[in-house]
Amino acid sequence: MYKLWQTKPELEYPKTKIIDIIQHGSSTKTNNPNDIDIAIIYKNTPIKEQLTETQKIKMQLEKHTDKPIHTTPYDYNTFFDEGNFAMHNILLEGRSIITGKYFAEKLGFTPYTEIKYTLKGKEKKEKIKFNYTLNGKQKKYGLLKKYGGTLIAPGLIRIKPEHEQIFKEKLEKQTKITITKTLIKKKL
Amino acid sequence: MNKEVLKKTIKEYYESAEEAQQKNRPNTAVILYYKCLVALVDLFLLKKEGNTPSSHTNRFKTTKEKYPDIYFILDKDFPYYQDSYQKIMNKELAEAIKEDVQTMANKTGTRIP
Repeated sequence: MYKLWQTKPELEYPKTKIIDIIQHGSSTKTNNPNDIDIAIIYKNTPIKEQLTETQKIKMQLEKHTDKPIHTTPYDYNTFFDEGNFAMHNILLEGRSIITGKYFAEKLGFTPYTEIKYTLKGKEKKEKIKFNYTLNGKQKKYGLLKKYGGTLIAPGLIRIKPEHEQIFKEKLEKQTKITITKTLIKKKL
Repeated sequence: MNKEVLKKTIKEYYESAEEAQQKNRPNTAVILYYKCLVALVDLFLLKKEGNTPSSHTNRFKTTKEKYPDIYFILDKDFPYYQDSYQKIMNKELAEAIKEDVQTMANKTGTRIP
């Protein structure tokens, strides 16, 4: 099993020092990743202790998968620094393996992937085929219903980040697409 | 590998790491402290097994199977050694790896300066 946020493995860790344990990177999107990236967010914890606790968590997680686990500790106080290159991916795709939710939700946001496409210049039958792929035909579900996506404007759909790969594979075969990632403020 | 060569390497890495730390060059210090740690692990394995590992993979494999406490240290610090080529390290991290060097020095009965 590679999507650890779905199984939420039981872990022993110092709950007062760790804000969250987050799975991010390719393993959140593909079914057969090469490895699993885990970010551990600490608060007020000396680096030496972060290193030790991180290694303990890594060893526990290794029992739940056959893929190599890469764990990285982050200090909450410096997590949002410009120099933290992993920050964007963690915010835009990261899922807590403690709660199963997106890490961004803890901060009041929901991450989405938006796919922009154009059918300009396509033949009518190609447009119809594309529409079937997105919306389904007769009793067969299309991608939007199957994976919970929304058409937010003509030529623009919004989906959950973990479904990016499946949409990309299916839609790219039919037309040119552009993918962007976004955080939307959660409704209060 | 020869025990004397390892001891010379350990001393050289350690002294250079200390120098880097004093000059506020934490990336260099992390690399050198970790190399020192690896040399100490090799010295430990030479004493226990009669030979030194030929690669990182073998070093990790042997320690994981036979000396889990040493594997814990080696594997714990390895990502920072790898990252030190492309990320900015800090003095506190270098200091944490230095403490592991001290632990390994004690295990092997090595006096580090």
